[in-house]
Amino acid sequence: MDRRELLSGLAATAAASIVTPEVARATAQADRAAASGLDWRVAFADLDADMPRTPMRRVRGRAPAGLSGALYRNGPGKFHRPGGSVAHWFDGDGLVRAFRIADGQATLEARFVDTPKRRADTAANAVVTSGFGTPAGPGARLRNGDDANAANISVMRVGDELWALWESGSPIALDPADLSTKGLRTLRPDLAHAPFLAHPRREPGGDIWNLGVSGARAMVWRLGADGTLKSAQMVELPMASYVHDFTATQRHLVLILQPWVQSMMVQPFADSFEWKAGLGTKVLVLDKDDLSARRVYELPAAFAFHYGAAWAEADGTIRFDGCFSEDASFATENGRRLMQGTWTPEPSPDLSLVTLRPDGRASLKPTGVSAEFPRTDGRVAGGPRRWTLHATGGGQATPLFNGVATHDWKDGRSDAFLFGAHQLTEEAVFVARPGGTAELDGWLLMPSVNTRARATELHVFDARRVADGPLCTWRADRVLPVSLHGGFVRA
Amino acid sequence: MILRTLLAGLAGLCLTTTAAAETAELTVTFKGMTAHQGAILFVLSDSEASYDNKAPPRASGMAPVRGAEASQTLTGLAPGRYAIKAFHDVDGDGKMGTNPFGMPTEPFAFSNDAPAVMGPAPWAAAAFEVKAGRNVHQITID
Repeated sequence: MDRRELLSGLAATAAASIVTPEVARATAQADRAAASGLDWRVAFADLDADMPRTPMRRVRGRAPAGLSGALYRNGPGKFHRPGGSVAHWFDGDGLVRAFRIADGQATLEARFVDTPKRRADTAANAVVTSGFGTPAGPGARLRNGDDANAANISVMRVGDELWALWESGSPIALDPADLSTKGLRTLRPDLAHAPFLAHPRREPGGDIWNLGVSGARAMVWRLGADGTLKSAQMVELPMASYVHDFTATQRHLVLILQPWVQSMMVQPFADSFEWKAGLGTKVLVLDKDDLSARRVYELPAAFAFHYGAAWAEADGTIRFDGCFSEDASFATENGRRLMQGTWTPEPSPDLSLVTLRPDGRASLKPTGVSAEFPRTDGRVAGGPRRWTLHATGGGQATPLFNGVATHDWKDGRSDAFLFGAHQLTEEAVFVARPGGTAELDGWLLMPSVNTRARATELHVFDARRVADGPLCTWRADRVLPVSLHGGFVRA
Repeated sequence: MILRTLLAGLAGLCLTTTAAAETAELTVTFKGMTAHQGAILFVLSDSEASYDNKAPPRASGMAPVRGAEASQTLTGLAPGRYAIKAFHDVDGDGKMGTNPFGMPTEPFAFSNDAPAVMGPAPWAAAAFEVKAGRNVHQITID
């Protein structure tokens, strides 16, 4: 018997004799879930094998004419192995899904990214590779970030490839036709294994900007639309914050340094960070054409995973939105509890507007709207814009979100649709109506996990009339684990 | 940190020849290389202190890479416990390449194929026995 077996044996013995608060809570939640016929845990359960392309059934409305292409999405899809499982939702193996829409019909397929981590864990029959919230197990190999690369946060189209993205390692290229893995993309040999965040910013019709962060240093990546590296430059950060996303105007990169700061280098990664509210949040603004031209603004302490696209006004004021929480507790607490089948209700992140003024003052103004996964109409990214689209309906007894909304920054109106507790809604993306040019003239595409129907659904909304509900819903009678981020590629 | 310790060990690379009493011979074979160029540079330590860069290495070596395998034989070794740290100098500049974050960009490995976990594999995992006479030790480096 090895140490792991010994410990799990001891845990089982202890659990049989002592009802811990954790066990009691899990039992109570399971009872409530069974009573209501809903169990959100199906949205965090393993997918054991790739899912071949499967037709989806239209269960509501009909597809709008002109909507044609593929929605690619990524998110953790396998969490448990016989010899040991992940300790955090963010550490499941990257599972890329394709919702393909043509001629009013939709299909769904899902395929795991073939990462060194997945191979190592499969060979060990246990999750031995360390990650965001999972420590290394016996026999783990961690020579560089790519040995731990779960490729599980996002997927984007670059040239004729898809890139599955994590944040502390390289992009991993996939074939868009069948989602098969082509391999790590090293953008230049001397930059192998450098971190590359999962939230690159695309200039409309132009370059792709991204960051890679480790400690208080960041690589600023600039790529052409086809993925060719144009430049890679290191910048020093005001503090060693956890950075998951950043934002940009046409001229600036905007880096938000929150007071969840790295104070040591331990495993798992998340345990290296401490919440130091006293440090406040710092916002570093860099000039894209001269990264040495920098300005730092101060905001109150707050935590966010995601930001909307930033814009600059005529007088030099920069504004952007983000989904802010009081602290990093989702990352440190509920992200772990999800893997134990429990959830402690917490306030939803709040859609908030950050304003950076030319005189150096900065403010963070909450709207009171529950929001996560903020996106914009990509055609206006970096420039003046009016709307943000986002998941909403968080802060409930069940995890994540159950609705979708657009937020109008001009008149402050939220146009929202809530599905109810049986749906876990994911990130919505905007798809422009062919021929249209006005901001938000098009559709929102949003998948969800329907825990009552035990199904994966894809909803299409008129982006200007979200509260009317979906124009069309397709359903596959199979639950895929809830996913994180992706993008639409027009046919 | 992987880099610093490896480089420290590889600093002052020189192949020590020993005229000591009749002893052991060690052939180190490297396999798994995907870039068929450059050379494998390695150091052989005969103690934990040496392995941890607190004492000079017992020997060092350079095995040119022409295919997926390369090897080099070290002679005149005393029987005992040894460990190897190696990297594939793909670009032939004599240094272990690193990205701007200090992370190795060229493949590296340790004897026993002992896994690195955020740093060199420990001596206890990398150490192996060299007996009098001929010995062969194989390391996968990719």
